[in-house]
Amino acid sequence: MAVLEATQTRALPRTMLGWVPRLAVMAGLAYLLLVRMPLDEKFAPIYADAAIYAIVGLSLNIVLGYTGQLSLGHNGFFGIGAFSAAYALTVREVPFALTFVIAGACGALFALVMGVVALRITGLYLALITLVFGITLENSLFEVSWLTNSGAGQPANRPEWLYSDTRFFYFCLAFLAVAVYLDFMLLRTKSGRALLALKENERVAEAFGINVTAFKLLAFVLSGTLAGVAGALFAYRIGIVTASGLGFNLALLFVLLTVVGGLGSRVGVMLGGLLFASLDYVLHETWAHHVNDFVFRWDSAPQFAVGFLGALGLLLTIVKYPGGIGQQIRPITRWLAGGPFTLHDDRDSGPAAVEGSSVRA
Amino acid sequence: MSAAAGADLVALEVMAPAVTGLVQGSVYGLLGLGLVLLYKSNRIFNFAQAEFGGVAAFTWIFFDTGKGFLPDTPTPVAVVIGILMAVVVALITERLVVRPLFNAPKITVVVATAGVLLLLIAVEGFLYGGEAGSFPAIFSGDAINEGAIRVTNQGLAIIVALLVLAVASALFFSRSRYGTAILAVSQEATASRLVGISVERISALTWGLAGFLAGVAGILLAGSIGLAAPGSLTGLALVPAFTAAVFGGVTSMPGALLGGVVIGVIESLATANIPKEDLPGSGQVVLFVALLLVLLVRPSGLLGKET
Repeated sequence: MAVLEATQTRALPRTMLGWVPRLAVMAGLAYLLLVRMPLDEKFAPIYADAAIYAIVGLSLNIVLGYTGQLSLGHNGFFGIGAFSAAYALTVREVPFALTFVIAGACGALFALVMGVVALRITGLYLALITLVFGITLENSLFEVSWLTNSGAGQPANRPEWLYSDTRFFYFCLAFLAVAVYLDFMLLRTKSGRALLALKENERVAEAFGINVTAFKLLAFVLSGTLAGVAGALFAYRIGIVTASGLGFNLALLFVLLTVVGGLGSRVGVMLGGLLFASLDYVLHETWAHHVNDFVFRWDSAPQFAVGFLGALGLLLTIVKYPGGIGQQIRPITRWLAGGPFTLHDDRDSGPAAVEGSSVRA
Repeated sequence: MSAAAGADLVALEVMAPAVTGLVQGSVYGLLGLGLVLLYKSNRIFNFAQAEFGGVAAFTWIFFDTGKGFLPDTPTPVAVVIGILMAVVVALITERLVVRPLFNAPKITVVVATAGVLLLLIAVEGFLYGGEAGSFPAIFSGDAINEGAIRVTNQGLAIIVALLVLAVASALFFSRSRYGTAILAVSQEATASRLVGISVERISALTWGLAGFLAGVAGILLAGSIGLAAPGSLTGLALVPAFTAAVFGGVTSMPGALLGGVVIGVIESLATANIPKEDLPGSGQVVLFVALLLVLLVRPSGLLGKET
């Protein structure tokens, strides 16, 4: 009982006064990230990308973070979402809102097919087969002429009220909010706890009466649905969908942002999305305006710098800091949530146990 | 249709792609051999395997053309430096990435090798630039050139390299102390430690060998295509090499070689005979189907004894 009281008091600041600085910091961050930056039309597309990546990150987190299975084929689900939305809107003239349903359904369908196969193939082989799946879609389905407007790319024009990039960012943000909510609810349910149990030990989970195959399939389908919807958003973000840019590199980028963001950490994964969406722009800007002009010319550098830093971040995350960004910013997020500000990690209470999970766990 | 015309058609649609596939498949076999080696010793898939070959190819071309401050090196020396570079990169990977993760789940190590792949592509890009550059064949001229069927000397060299390395590795693993030690560690690491085998040194040795095989494959492949950009060798050969390894049974070295040749021929035949309008990327689709079939029907592969 005493222990319980201790955790309860620790979860809240001692006085209501303690909330004042926390709310101030939260408001400041929210203003900066959700209002100040996206209102600049120059940054708005990057922020839209960040929101889209964050949705994919959450999607991959379900498979990789919760159930511990590696998918290198999420570019496939993402691409299917993008193409099906663009095709439905432009060729079949389906209403705009419905295209997201179609994209999600197509993503789910492909994930289901892939997942049925994956029931018999686990671990390393699953990583391999999803890799080949993604590459095959890129080279085959995404090159079929009726889908790609004879190879020119399938247009996906936003409706008039979404022309502004800032508005489109808020539109993506709404989707992200729904995705976060769904993810949050998923972990609250029996299914969510079953998924987490799978990651720890499949055999033990099975012994407790969890239908391992069914829940793996569920995780895959949920993940595919989210990735498909994110793909639809991406289609409207760029306006024309082609196979280029939907290849293995994209699958790697998704894995990067999820692992570097921090597996199992919602905030971390979303920050990973923001990081990798803006990295390219930041590097190009700093390089073009400062290093190339004043220090020395090195034109090929910015093109590869994202991959370099991303890969370095990934290796550091895996080898040294398994919790990723989510783990590193734990003191801040915990303080914002009302806890004390300490650098010591405690993973004792409820959802925090999920927050602290890692690639190596 | 006359018999002669029919024979020509067979030559064009079956023989010529089959011969191309044989050469291509030998490269897959070489890379697949390295993948099998690493799977046997570490129980992981190395996604950076083809890019080790890329490292060798770029190092070779840097020295061969005397880029930057590098001396203009004769081709044979440059080739040796290239292969050595692949070995070094593989050893560094083992030391800095794989060894710290000895006790981590295998899937983590696999993600890490994907990170190594990205890192290598980025470094190649920094040094070489993003554009594809020309890679001259080391062995010029044609060995066979009869109508549609053509084998370059480079292609012949690839097949010979595959055969030589296959025999050499068979001897190495059956006769030499280190070869048998690698096999012992792959079967039972703890027991091997007990009889005095250093598991760490064996792991380093395996990665070095895998780097060597990839280096040979990468230099020969880049020269045989004539063009390469950072990451292009991975895009071209990684998936077929994996398919070859799985096809032959992922723990069987003769299986990987056989699988490589089979996969190369199948892919080449599909690409040559299925029009792009009917099915774009047909070679890739055939690989995917082959991989699925093997994993679902016979997960231990053609020659594998364990899954």
